[in-house]
Amino acid sequence: MASPSPIVIDRLSKVYDSGRADLAVRAVDSVSFRVARGDSLAIIGPSGCGKSSLLNILGCLDRPTEGSYELDGRNMAELDDDELAALRNRHIGFVFQSFNLLPRMDALENVELPLLYGAVPKSRELARAALDRVGLSNREHHLPNELSGGQRQRVAIARAIVTRPSILLCDEPTGALDSKTGRDVLELLLSLNAEGATLVTVTHDLSIARALARGIRMKDGRIVADADAASVVAEMHQSELEAAC
Amino acid sequence: MLMRETAKSAWRSLASNRLRTLLTMLGMIIGTGAVVAVLGIGEGAKSSVEGRIRSLGSNLMMVRPTFIAGAGGVRSGSAQTLTKSDAEALLALDGVAAAAPEMSASTQIRHESKNQNASVVGVTPAYFDVRSLAIGSGVPLSELDEQRRSRVVVIGANIAQDLYASSSPLGEKLQINGAAFRVIGVLAAKGAGFGSPDDSVYVPMSSHESALFGRDYLSSISLQLASEERAASVASQTEQLLRLRHRLRSEQASDFEVRSQAEMLETMGQITGTFTALLGSIAAVSLIVGGIGIMNIMLVSVRERTREIGVRMAVGARRRDILRQFLFEAVVVSLAGGAVGVGLGYGAAQILARFGQWQTIVPPYAIGLALGVSIIIGIAFGVGPARRAASLDPVEALRFE
Repeated sequence: MASPSPIVIDRLSKVYDSGRADLAVRAVDSVSFRVARGDSLAIIGPSGCGKSSLLNILGCLDRPTEGSYELDGRNMAELDDDELAALRNRHIGFVFQSFNLLPRMDALENVELPLLYGAVPKSRELARAALDRVGLSNREHHLPNELSGGQRQRVAIARAIVTRPSILLCDEPTGALDSKTGRDVLELLLSLNAEGATLVTVTHDLSIARALARGIRMKDGRIVADADAASVVAEMHQSELEAAC
Repeated sequence: MLMRETAKSAWRSLASNRLRTLLTMLGMIIGTGAVVAVLGIGEGAKSSVEGRIRSLGSNLMMVRPTFIAGAGGVRSGSAQTLTKSDAEALLALDGVAAAAPEMSASTQIRHESKNQNASVVGVTPAYFDVRSLAIGSGVPLSELDEQRRSRVVVIGANIAQDLYASSSPLGEKLQINGAAFRVIGVLAAKGAGFGSPDDSVYVPMSSHESALFGRDYLSSISLQLASEERAASVASQTEQLLRLRHRLRSEQASDFEVRSQAEMLETMGQITGTFTALLGSIAAVSLIVGGIGIMNIMLVSVRERTREIGVRMAVGARRRDILRQFLFEAVVVSLAGGAVGVGLGYGAAQILARFGQWQTIVPPYAIGLALGVSIIIGIAFGVGPARRAASLDPVEALRFE
């Protein structure tokens, strides 16, 4: 667990073939990288570049076709469905663009949900603490539809951090928010990162990407740039400019 | 995930769509309600028939003429071969404590302006003992009445009620088939419905023969056994003796049948049992329909909640957690429907018993059975949708709109 790199990806590919080899799509094509503990990583690139496929594998929701993925020293290829579920439960926190809160549960219950699946004792208290951490302790018993978009995303973040996962996986975390609340949510994610959470974010929003430490740019399933976020974003502008000319 | 949380989540999902849940439950409500009510009616019928047979007397064995098959196998009437001397001969058998022959006919009886049809039974004095008929007021028929062909009659409680209303019928006249008889006794009420002694009148056998109907063959002989254990041996002796007396050759069928009370109970039990099973299985068909309704709604629910399933999987639900959640919901719906149905079926049985002619007894096993079957149906029809939910691909489920 104390490995310096919670995420180690080696020549990982995801191939979708709808039964015919000539129609196979290499959504992720032999990608290798590591993410160090406490790092913050933005994955950027145009639609269809393989970001989402990569994120699904990072989140143990999907299995790679080739290559290996180690999360906290455990090789995902060796795990069965139940072990993957346990891995998602304890080692990964998801933050989605559309929040994905369960509509019939109040904020506190939504946050508590991963603890219940993990059979963690004192789940109620831990959920309260997580909700408090995102500044919503006064909204415990509100249903999602009684909360604003920004508040919903905060609840979702509380749910993601409640099991103290090694990585926080965000898929366009501010995509459904206006710029002001988007910035607040980003601030929250950054402060969690500052407290030690490893942050991996897929985003279109370059202002978000720039706020993180490291950037990976993908194109056609491959990594075309992997450096500090600011220079990756700058390099992306450059290449787009060149393509336009 | 804890059971409590699963239950809570199931409750929330069902409560959030009350009308739909109720309609889904309706199939189970109707099914279990019908099953419970039918079993209640069946059990009631069985117990009332048993009560009637038991009320005939104890250690009883009946000898009756068999029906004669007429042309084309149509029953044309009963054999007219059973006689009083048969009864006397049977009394001599070892193990027979008493023999009570009877001849019965249905005819009109009248007192003053009131008249009705009743079963008029010619009996010997022993009959009242053998058939456990107690005299409520007055005296029973005596040996002397029999010898003198007295025109006296002992009447059933209902007859007394219907023809004499509140006044005492003792010493009053009763016209039977136009002949005048004097009422000397009234039977204590026995209850039990159609064909009960309450609705019959009893005259000396000799009068029945001479003054009323002019027939001398019997409609039955009741034998009282010395003990229950002798039933089999008495039955076979009776069979042999009567065949001999009726001069039946070995290839000829008996023109009478011998049945013990235990056999009668068994036969009636089989009849009511078959009847109950038949009706019950028709009712059970609606349970299957109810189960299909549950399956249908669960499939809709799984589809509607695809995204929720994806989220649950993303935060760490294992496939079996999802399976359990949906299975639990299906069972809750079917069990709740079953419980309501049991209540309604029980209520229906009570109402039938109070306002209808039927005695109904809802046996405890019927309630257990209905609830057990509800659970089984919930599982059987819920497992398909639940498996579908559990086998969803988390990536697809999260992407589902």
